[in-house]
Amino acid sequence: METSFRKIDIDAYDEDVIQEEELYDADPRDPAQVLNDTKQKTSAVRGYLSKGDTAGALTMILTDPPYGPNVEQAKETNLSTLLTILGSTKSSEVSSVVKGLSQDAQDTLMKYLYKGMATSARSDANTSVLLSWHEKLTEVAGIGCIVRVMTDRRLV
Amino acid sequence: MSAPEVYNIAQVPITSHAFNANRSEVCVSLNSNEAQILGKQGSEWVAKETLSEHDKIITSIDWAPNSNRIVTASQDRNAYVWSQAPDPLTGQMIWKPTLVLLRINRAATYVRWSPNEDKFAVASGARAIAICSFDPESDWWVSKQLKKPIRSTVLSVDWHPNNVLLAAGSADMKARVFSAYIKDVDKKPQASVWGEKLPFNTVCGEYSSSSGGWVHAVGFSPSGDVLAFASHDSSITIVYPGAPAVITIKSMTLPYTTLVWTSEDSLVAAGHDCQPILFQGSETTGWKAVGSLDDTTAPKSSGGGRQSAVGRLNSAAFNTFRNADTRGQTSLPGMPGAGSGGESELMTVHQNTISTIRAHAGAPSQVTKVSTSGADGNLVIWTTNAVSGLVGRMSGLRM
Repeated sequence: METSFRKIDIDAYDEDVIQEEELYDADPRDPAQVLNDTKQKTSAVRGYLSKGDTAGALTMILTDPPYGPNVEQAKETNLSTLLTILGSTKSSEVSSVVKGLSQDAQDTLMKYLYKGMATSARSDANTSVLLSWHEKLTEVAGIGCIVRVMTDRRLV
Repeated sequence: MSAPEVYNIAQVPITSHAFNANRSEVCVSLNSNEAQILGKQGSEWVAKETLSEHDKIITSIDWAPNSNRIVTASQDRNAYVWSQAPDPLTGQMIWKPTLVLLRINRAATYVRWSPNEDKFAVASGARAIAICSFDPESDWWVSKQLKKPIRSTVLSVDWHPNNVLLAAGSADMKARVFSAYIKDVDKKPQASVWGEKLPFNTVCGEYSSSSGGWVHAVGFSPSGDVLAFASHDSSITIVYPGAPAVITIKSMTLPYTTLVWTSEDSLVAAGHDCQPILFQGSETTGWKAVGSLDDTTAPKSSGGGRQSAVGRLNSAAFNTFRNADTRGQTSLPGMPGAGSGGESELMTVHQNTISTIRAHAGAPSQVTKVSTSGADGNLVIWTTNAVSGLVGRMSGLRM
């Protein structure tokens, strides 16, 4: 966060300051298990993709995504797996795949789309693919979905 | 379906409104440090009296129907109770303020009278709710604070019908139910679904918003056995404490900021989407959005309609830039006579965020009319049975 405009850290003088970790419920799994789960999901996703089951692969990767501190590697793995799925989906299928997702999965997918766009320096993040998914997802899930991405502190 | 009654009160936002018992007068604050009492003359609301005692913007107003007292809360960290008394010089009835000792060091954000009108609750940015009761010896209102476990600004409160329990929605993403039992005022409350022993500051329930949004509005159902809250993640959550069952409705639109129960199985919510939406359901069947009280299929005044696109992507600002690009038009949205009129106009009655919704007519368990006011300076009275189907962007809503 940009804090250079602040000359004094006023939070240091507040004994009862609200902490980052109080803003959301932490993941009950420990980091090693999260990483393990994510790796298993990645291999399961490969299986789905080889059968051409994009919807199944997406549902799998969007269930219990890693969030919070200390799981950077799992987050990275999950994002790159998701980007692989998005990139390998035919653009004509995007609409129906998105409609088939649960509302929670749609919200999570939107989080990843924004994360993908924020890290577009990556070689596997194709911004035009992300934008076309974003358009289709917004048509189905509405702007409420985008609002939820902005409010949710469980960053993926 | 009867059309809503629309009154344009001002060109500036209405921060809060409260009607008197027989709905002949309304107290509004127009985004300033003064509150105005308006009386109805014909089809217009005209200013009768100005309540000026606050130094900063008034954030919330409540008018007690039976004791005919108004309470105002302001960003100047004060609240005043106003009651009518004859002027010593002219003998006319005028509104006189009484000081309230709130003892908070941040803005007061929200205020509501308890059902028996012998207490009121003031929410504040000081992570506290001041429960105020009258001290006849000193002739002022004293307060007792609910503090734990509130972690951030309290944005709204609502009283349980038993006059003891209080629901609070806060910017720490949680809605809570507290006991606001004051020994000298209240009789011992009967046990309810929320708990049996209820000393002051008992936390009877704590519920998180599903995707971590500020809780803008809370409300007890008419029986007090169900709690609903609207949060900034565009969702409404209904809590049945007995089971306990928590039902979340994620909306496709912008967040709701205010809600009111219209019966035991229905409520109306409104907010940044500029239209009141009726929700219905029960513990067993689940809840869903039934429709809008607003007929959004036609523009509200003459002028070209706009194509309804996804959400608000096809908005006035968007059109302005598109016209500048494709047609070389440089009109600004909202300017009188600019462009083709309808371009900057929303399809809803309210042209901006709805900030307050209140029950207007009918018993609490069968509300027939609700009133809304918002940032567009309009005061609108809706009939709750006039629901138009949700068109377009709401049609894909799944529960």
